[in-house]
Amino acid sequence: MVAPVSSRTMIRLLMALTLGAGGAAHADTPARALTVYTAGPGTLIKQLAEGYTRQTGVRVDVFQATTGKVMARLEAEAANPRADVLISASWDTAQDMDARGLLLAHQSANAARVPERLRTATYVAQGISALGIVWNSSTGTPEPADWADLATPAYKSAVTMPDPALSGATIDLLLGLQNAQGDAPWKLLAQLRDNGMTVSGPNAQALTPVLQGAKAAVFGGVDYVAYASIQKGEKIKVIFPQSGTVIAPRPMMILKSSRSPEQARAFIDYVLSEPGQAAVADAWLIPAREDVAARRPPMRDIKVLEAGAGEAQGGREQALARFAKLFGQH
Amino acid sequence: MKSVYLLAAAVAAALMVLVALPVGFVSLQAVFPHLGEGSLRAPFGAWPQALGDPALWSLLGQTLGLGLGVAAVAGAIGLPLGTLRGLCRLPGARLWDLLFLLPFLLPPYIAALSWTMALQPRGYLWQLTGTDLGGLLHSRLGVILIMGLSAFPVVYFAVSRSMAASGARLAQVARVCGASAATAFMRVTLPLALPAIAASLLLAFTLAIEEYGVPAALGAQAGVSVLTTAIERRLADWPIDLSGAALLSLVLVALALTAFAVQRAVLAGRNFDTTNGKPVPLAHAALGAWRWPVLALFALVAFAAAGAPLAAMAISALQRTLSGGLAPGNFTLANFAALFGADADAFGALGTSLALAAGAAVLTGALGFLAAWLVAGRHVRGAAAIDALALLPAALPGVVVGVGLILAWNQPFWPATPYGTWVLLLCSYSCLLLPYPMRYASAALAQLGPTLEASARVHGAGVLRALWHVTLPLTAPSVIAAMMMVFAVASRELVTSLLLAPAGMQTVSIYVWRQFEQGSVGAGMAMATLAVILSLALMLAGLKLQARHAAKV
Repeated sequence: MVAPVSSRTMIRLLMALTLGAGGAAHADTPARALTVYTAGPGTLIKQLAEGYTRQTGVRVDVFQATTGKVMARLEAEAANPRADVLISASWDTAQDMDARGLLLAHQSANAARVPERLRTATYVAQGISALGIVWNSSTGTPEPADWADLATPAYKSAVTMPDPALSGATIDLLLGLQNAQGDAPWKLLAQLRDNGMTVSGPNAQALTPVLQGAKAAVFGGVDYVAYASIQKGEKIKVIFPQSGTVIAPRPMMILKSSRSPEQARAFIDYVLSEPGQAAVADAWLIPAREDVAARRPPMRDIKVLEAGAGEAQGGREQALARFAKLFGQH
Repeated sequence: MKSVYLLAAAVAAALMVLVALPVGFVSLQAVFPHLGEGSLRAPFGAWPQALGDPALWSLLGQTLGLGLGVAAVAGAIGLPLGTLRGLCRLPGARLWDLLFLLPFLLPPYIAALSWTMALQPRGYLWQLTGTDLGGLLHSRLGVILIMGLSAFPVVYFAVSRSMAASGARLAQVARVCGASAATAFMRVTLPLALPAIAASLLLAFTLAIEEYGVPAALGAQAGVSVLTTAIERRLADWPIDLSGAALLSLVLVALALTAFAVQRAVLAGRNFDTTNGKPVPLAHAALGAWRWPVLALFALVAFAAAGAPLAAMAISALQRTLSGGLAPGNFTLANFAALFGADADAFGALGTSLALAAGAAVLTGALGFLAAWLVAGRHVRGAAAIDALALLPAALPGVVVGVGLILAWNQPFWPATPYGTWVLLLCSYSCLLLPYPMRYASAALAQLGPTLEASARVHGAGVLRALWHVTLPLTAPSVIAAMMMVFAVASRELVTSLLLAPAGMQTVSIYVWRQFEQGSVGAGMAMATLAVILSLALMLAGLKLQARHAAKV
């Protein structure tokens, strides 16, 4: 039998076509690429990756999502780890991973000017965000001064909050408030819920309805997202509550499973270098290094809560479960 | 014949990898909670807790409610409009058909986000008229209405075609025999169209329970929590719960399969053959004085289903700041310029989506055609299994295929795995969209009949030679049309893209979704607008191709 096209040829053709199509999208296999998993902002990691690639010639593959999704992907890939460097928006995740022995030690020479409480043997801050109230000044609501103001009738159904299951900074806020004030913040959250507060997505997404004015304020918004919007001309204001708030340093760490630890170290060094920290400042974060100037109100202008009575209340998982129950999430 | 068996084996192997493997691993994970550790201990260990969890029953109830609600809305809009289109001489009929195809082009999650921008307090509606529909938008009814508006064309097209094909002519016979117009409609036209109506409503139901984007975009504020979003949450939000995700996936697949099976049974059991004999020109009723109210109704639906969300999308893409509102000075092309400017991400995302969609179209086109050929010609034994495997994805929700592919390929025992590469995205698109080419090719092959291929064989051509030179050219237009459909749907697929895209890779849908997550509404909407324009161009090209072919035949 003479078949002009054998089945094998046909399959080969098929494979060539699909491989060719995909190959156009993503060229060679990552031989010397560094894989970085990071929480937002996307613009910052893009700048950092570009700067690092220019300096070293090593390509950087970035997976950028919310802290919740980044951590979930790490956990799902535990059997086949892919990430070299992890940048989270929650200090607590780094403590957790360090306790589980998943991190590689690295003392960057560039970390010398990072305050001591923002660096350990295995992780170091990339930059710092502070949490506050983000308020749309054109909504006809009074300017809030403290967290509790948002539970008053003036803000009935006008407040939104990021989902702590997604946003690393928001879970840090919950833990920080709980550590400083025990059960009080949970009572406030229940009042806010009864006042019609909604929980919507990760941090920046919670800001969107406030930009258009559908909501008047974000409870616990990260400041850098709001500053970036203000820069674009949006009419919103960042307010740091009088009673105190929480800062969320963003930890960078190298995973023990990394297949290119030297390049990962070089990446951390680059982020802590002066150009790296300048990129952090450009993203409206407070740079980790004290000798690089921030482009927004510095940390000394913010009243930061100290840990106190409630510290022994349990960690992230418990707080998340309690929050989910309070707001009826499945 | 040896090469036919080789071909059949290759098709079967491809179907096993694309369809059976992910479904199999979802079932395995649901039964064996410790599968990830390579252990089969404690079978059904996760079930007592999961089945006793009130959350499961709430999710199931809400999913069913949403599906029924969407089917009701789609029916309420699609039935009367489809009937009018099928039976009456409607001015601009083809234009309305085209307009009602638009909701297919607008990915449901983009429609949902656009409606949010339009209807929420201080949204575009408020800025224009001083009232807003925020209460409705953020309610269960709002979610149902938005999903119903994007699902109703399924009912509209099925009903209008069925009524036009059968009803009008036989109803005329009834009229001649003395029945009143109402009686003829109730006793002849409607019963004849019933199977098509039931099947299309079931399809709307299935689409609704499988939808991820709209509940994900609106659900949190509307208090809607359904199976698809719950599965994604268990899989993609820390702390993850693989067994829970797999179990909920099984529940969702069972629901979808039931609806799918009922739909097939309805169509198979009551197939009224009304199109035999020589073709008769269709007899359409004149609308008379009803012409203007009917046109107004069509215009209203076209505006609500396509015009309003598309306009909200475009306006959001053109605004400099959201707090600036609809002021003249606030309009800019900067968001579009940014897509083509320094931001290589947007361009990369577009390229990735187009390349993957093209790959999926080629793969499913080839596989669907070969599978349909093997099934139609009964060339090999086991054709029924090939048929079932190739059509099964029609009842598989995207989120389940995503879960299955992760579970299948993220196991430590594979020597090499496509996990974390673009190959997995190609697999998921191909799996989900395989039924399109399969169905189109089957239909084309059924029309072809066995004689042409047989005569080629009689004249000495081998099986594959006859396939290549006779069958393929004759069915190519149908397969190409199906491949265009695959391309259009794959280029905007959301949920498996979110779950499976490797680090460093974005598709159009991921780009839009992430822009929203980061609060860059303008950039996200600019990309969405671009994607809709692209798929519109593709669809028009596809329609033209089909029309030219139809004219030739």
